[in-house]
Amino acid sequence: MIMQVDVAVIGSGPAGLTAAIHAHRSGARKVLLLEREEELGGILKQCIHNGFGLEQFKQDYTGPEYAERLIKELEKTGVQCFLNTLVTDLSSDRVITALSPEHGALEIRAKSIVLAMGCRERTRPSIGIPGTRPAGIFTAGVAQRFVNIDGYLPGKKIVILGSGDIGLIMARRLALEGARVIGVYEIMDYPGGLKRNIVQCLNDFDIPLHLSHTVTQIRGKERVEGVVISKVDSNLHPVEGTERLIECDTLLLSVGLIPENELSKKAGIELSAATKGPVTTEIMETSVPGIFSCGNVSTVFDLVDYVAQTGAAAGTFAARYASGNLGATRQSVDVIAGENVRLLFPQRYSYEDDLVLFIRAAEPVEKPVSIEVTPPGSKINRLYARPNEMLRVKIPKEKLAEVKRPIMVSIREK
Amino acid sequence: MAAEKKHFVCVVCPIGCEIDVVHDGSKIISTEGNKCEKSEEFVSQELIEPMRILTTTVRIDGSRWPVIPVRTDKPVPKRLFPRIMTQLRRIKLQAPVNMLDVVVSDILDTGANIIATRTMPPQ
Repeated sequence: MIMQVDVAVIGSGPAGLTAAIHAHRSGARKVLLLEREEELGGILKQCIHNGFGLEQFKQDYTGPEYAERLIKELEKTGVQCFLNTLVTDLSSDRVITALSPEHGALEIRAKSIVLAMGCRERTRPSIGIPGTRPAGIFTAGVAQRFVNIDGYLPGKKIVILGSGDIGLIMARRLALEGARVIGVYEIMDYPGGLKRNIVQCLNDFDIPLHLSHTVTQIRGKERVEGVVISKVDSNLHPVEGTERLIECDTLLLSVGLIPENELSKKAGIELSAATKGPVTTEIMETSVPGIFSCGNVSTVFDLVDYVAQTGAAAGTFAARYASGNLGATRQSVDVIAGENVRLLFPQRYSYEDDLVLFIRAAEPVEKPVSIEVTPPGSKINRLYARPNEMLRVKIPKEKLAEVKRPIMVSIREK
Repeated sequence: MAAEKKHFVCVVCPIGCEIDVVHDGSKIISTEGNKCEKSEEFVSQELIEPMRILTTTVRIDGSRWPVIPVRTDKPVPKRLFPRIMTQLRRIKLQAPVNMLDVVVSDILDTGANIIATRTMPPQ
């Protein structure tokens, strides 16, 4: 079947749902939302803990509640949703190839496209732990799905490698379900997850967090029987003589997320080496005109509120592109990471909207900092800068109208 | 009771102040490390009875998935978590269930209800 639409959105997590709603609100008549799973909502469905939407809705929702609120808003719009629909190809002239049991092979010609495929978890091969290949090694998000959706407990004696938020959330969840969570081991000398998760997920359940430690070996033939833990030095190399065998039946990996950009590559979209997502402008447009990206496919965000914010921008401007209200070629300047900035989003500015910057510090600074954006020379104060908490600052459009050279963003101690 | 020192991390806002509290069991004598006043209420409550929202799942029949997510509709004493979990393990719901439906009312006399956090249509 060949279809023509104004805006096609790929993925129905918080970014895709918000983008579809905003594309409709901004006047796009025919909006199509494509989801590979059997339900809308993306990863929110398995994030049954609370803490979602505090900023956006001033409510303390769980993931499923947050998703259902967006889905109810979407249902009022008349946006068409195709479930069980897997996008297999995407071209730079905005043709989507997709497969679905209900609709068969689809060729969707879209005036504009929003990419909202989210991210996936880094796995054991991507961090290279030696040892045997027994059952009982899961990424934290897979374990989360087993427990919260499929109703299975993945193990009873659990070690967690990495202190990312999903690992912390799962430490609490498994402890609640009666598993023994022996400890969380983090290779860095600071935690990966948000402070509130360290407190409410680990401290509340007396689960120890061991910084500057990693798993150097996995033992067990059929099933995990134990892991070897080592201390690491300041270069993150294991220190000889510090090895300790810990008996366990399960190892969870919470070692980071990577934007899922196979489709973006097929369309020839330029990716950023730092974020692993498309290089975008402040209106979420990628290097291919008319293709926008938002949420965790662009860069991995800390908060769903940030994901939704980028989704709203992508949906709004995708609708404007589809109606011909955005020029085909736009001027833009680079946005560049300066002092103590590890990651920066977006990477370009195209004079269409305010510049909302999401910044991750390279090194923690536990004292007041100034975020400097030059040009135009804006300085924004914050109480601290921590790599595990994205900073967000807004530079109004008016201040940027005359900017002609690359915009440098730095974090400096005050 | 003699004065005692306790360490807290405030979770009222994302700053997460590390607070050292000196208390005598019933009232706070001094606090150190907090950047604002909001933490006082949090710390007082933590000293008396730490309260949290509990989120978990219960079993369900007649739906696509075998479990449905639920939560307490207000914070409950953290020390009751194990007992609430035991109680919820005995429950099995029947689809359909709507989001915010009360699954168990006034769980363990806490005044809090257990509510569903998603809609589960029948299969």
